[in-house]
Amino acid sequence: MVASTFGRSGGRILAIAGKEVLHIRRDPRTLYLALAMPVVMLVLFGFGISFDVDHLELAVVDQDGTWASRELVRQFTASKEFVVSTESPSPEQALRDARRGHVVAVLVLPKGFARAVSSGGAQVQLLVDGADGNTATQVLAKAQALIQVASPRLAGEGAPLPAPPVEVRIRTLFNPGGRSALFVVPGLAAYLLAIVAVLMTALTVAREWERGSMEQLFATPVGRMEIVVGKLLPYLCIGLAQVLLVLTAGAWVFSVPIRGSLPVLGLGALLFLIGMLGQGLLISVVTRNQVVATQVATLTSMLPSMLLSGFIFPISNLPAPLRLLSTLIPARYFVSVLRGVLLRGNGLEVLWPQLGALALFALLILAAAMARFQRRLD
Amino acid sequence: MNVIEVEHLSRRFGDFKAVDDVSFTVGAGEIFGYLGANGAGKSTTIRMLCGLLQPSGGHARVAGHDVAIAPERVKAGIGYMSQRFSLYLDLTVRANLEFFAAAYGGHGATLRAAIDAMLERMQLTSVRDAVTGALPGGVQQRVALASAVMHRPRIVFLDEPTAGVDPLQRRSFWQLIRELAAQGTTVFVTTHYMDEAENCARIGIMVDGRLVALDTPEALKREHAPGRVLDVRGPGLAQALDGLRGEPGVLDVSRFGSGATVRVDPTRVEAQAVARWLRARGVEPLEMEESAPTLDDVFLALTASAQRGED
Repeated sequence: MVASTFGRSGGRILAIAGKEVLHIRRDPRTLYLALAMPVVMLVLFGFGISFDVDHLELAVVDQDGTWASRELVRQFTASKEFVVSTESPSPEQALRDARRGHVVAVLVLPKGFARAVSSGGAQVQLLVDGADGNTATQVLAKAQALIQVASPRLAGEGAPLPAPPVEVRIRTLFNPGGRSALFVVPGLAAYLLAIVAVLMTALTVAREWERGSMEQLFATPVGRMEIVVGKLLPYLCIGLAQVLLVLTAGAWVFSVPIRGSLPVLGLGALLFLIGMLGQGLLISVVTRNQVVATQVATLTSMLPSMLLSGFIFPISNLPAPLRLLSTLIPARYFVSVLRGVLLRGNGLEVLWPQLGALALFALLILAAAMARFQRRLD
Repeated sequence: MNVIEVEHLSRRFGDFKAVDDVSFTVGAGEIFGYLGANGAGKSTTIRMLCGLLQPSGGHARVAGHDVAIAPERVKAGIGYMSQRFSLYLDLTVRANLEFFAAAYGGHGATLRAAIDAMLERMQLTSVRDAVTGALPGGVQQRVALASAVMHRPRIVFLDEPTAGVDPLQRRSFWQLIRELAAQGTTVFVTTHYMDEAENCARIGIMVDGRLVALDTPEALKREHAPGRVLDVRGPGLAQALDGLRGEPGVLDVSRFGSGATVRVDPTRVEAQAVARWLRARGVEPLEMEESAPTLDDVFLALTASAQRGED
């Protein structure tokens, strides 16, 4: 009895899933959306989103005109991190360039710089365009590092400076090259998966409402659990294929490593996908309309998974209310899982809280969707 | 044996009574017509009987189960074709049948054989691999009917199955319905085409949520639209009609556009007498055609009396 009930239920789930596969085959745009778009976007974004800053345009105002001042400018340009785009006679002229956005910083070497170097306590002025915060920060860091390296060389003409009492040796772990791609790819993968998974489900269920076929489905003995599982199953498979594809593309194009536990990564992806599909289901059950469902799905998946997941902005930098809000965003946990496994070589022992959070989200959102998804029309 | 038993069934949406204290029974193998204007409560009744909508009051037993208590058992025993043919238009005819049959638990070689038989019976074999959305409305409607009866239900509910389909297709569709009934399937069908309703063994007429009449088409005509119907046309008709209403033997006068329908008791007044009466009042040239009352006349009489009753 139990076996036959299960068998019949399995048959009905397969019937729904099979029908969904036919829909997808009839309209392969779903597949393009699910499989081609993420890879294309990964490659575009991976190359496009770069937090690495190079060839910063610098205006130089050399009022000293000595060997020492020229040597300092040479130090700035030697690494190609800065290029001198204009040399101005006066700071005012240089500031005008800065105001037009032609240069990101103005380096002013005052008269008497060389003399001050040999007597110690020389000063240079660096005016940084703060309009672009990320660039300004990097300009400051780079300039300070350059001047620190250049100072002994300039002073070296005279007496060598005593070694500083504390010396900091910095080594960046997990991403020693500081490559943006390694940072971007995991975040981007979560972002793309979130959008596609939520959107695909929201559309497929809303379509049944809109066309009236949901009423026809409700008139059959197919249970709501069977409808949900049958409808989500094909998209779960597509989503998992998408994860594989994005990770392969990441490894292949951007040499993103996979240092940690693959099963943990797979489990994380599965839980994240179920949560996203559940979110799409809830949206379509509530809106029952494809146009509204598309908008709600895009908004609720795209923005949080971009802004509150740690993909672009570190979560620790978010203001407290947003940081609190981010704890409700599954993408945040999935980005942690991805970075943990791919870059830090983590396994279950480190990532279990994230996996737990993903599982909890999936469970709650599916429960909410099922509660709203009643097989009656009233 | 009754396969549908409805007692004091009601459904309210807020303050609006969509279905108001409706009672009737339908026997096995019967074609039962449910007539009414748009919004009269036909679809709401069907949805309650199919277990899709919870009644606000009363009871209904369909296929041996109470729709409010065991809607799932009801669903397993019935077929339902909703008002908009809710087929999957992007799938082929065969895929639609396969899906709905599987949704009711069909599978394997039996299912494939049943589909082939159904395609043949509904004259769909030649289009079985066509995408449903590309087919004409009449064919889509046959696909929808086939989908609704694939699992051989004891009762099939058809909600406005012929809406928007041309007369020729409608006639062949009713042929299919009669065949279904002849094989023992009970057919519960709503329509607002009165000519179609003549195919039904019994007819219930809904006006504003209430079932105002229920009988065979012949009995309904005898009771609610007795006599003969005269369709009249001519100049100056409007003024003449007012006086005609009170004449002996004239049962009902209703105007339609430039003409009018006059229903008379043939034992008390001849058609020719009515013609003479009208000509005497300047309706010349007069066109007159005599016919038996139709369900249209029944429907008009009932709607008019229901509205008078409300005023």
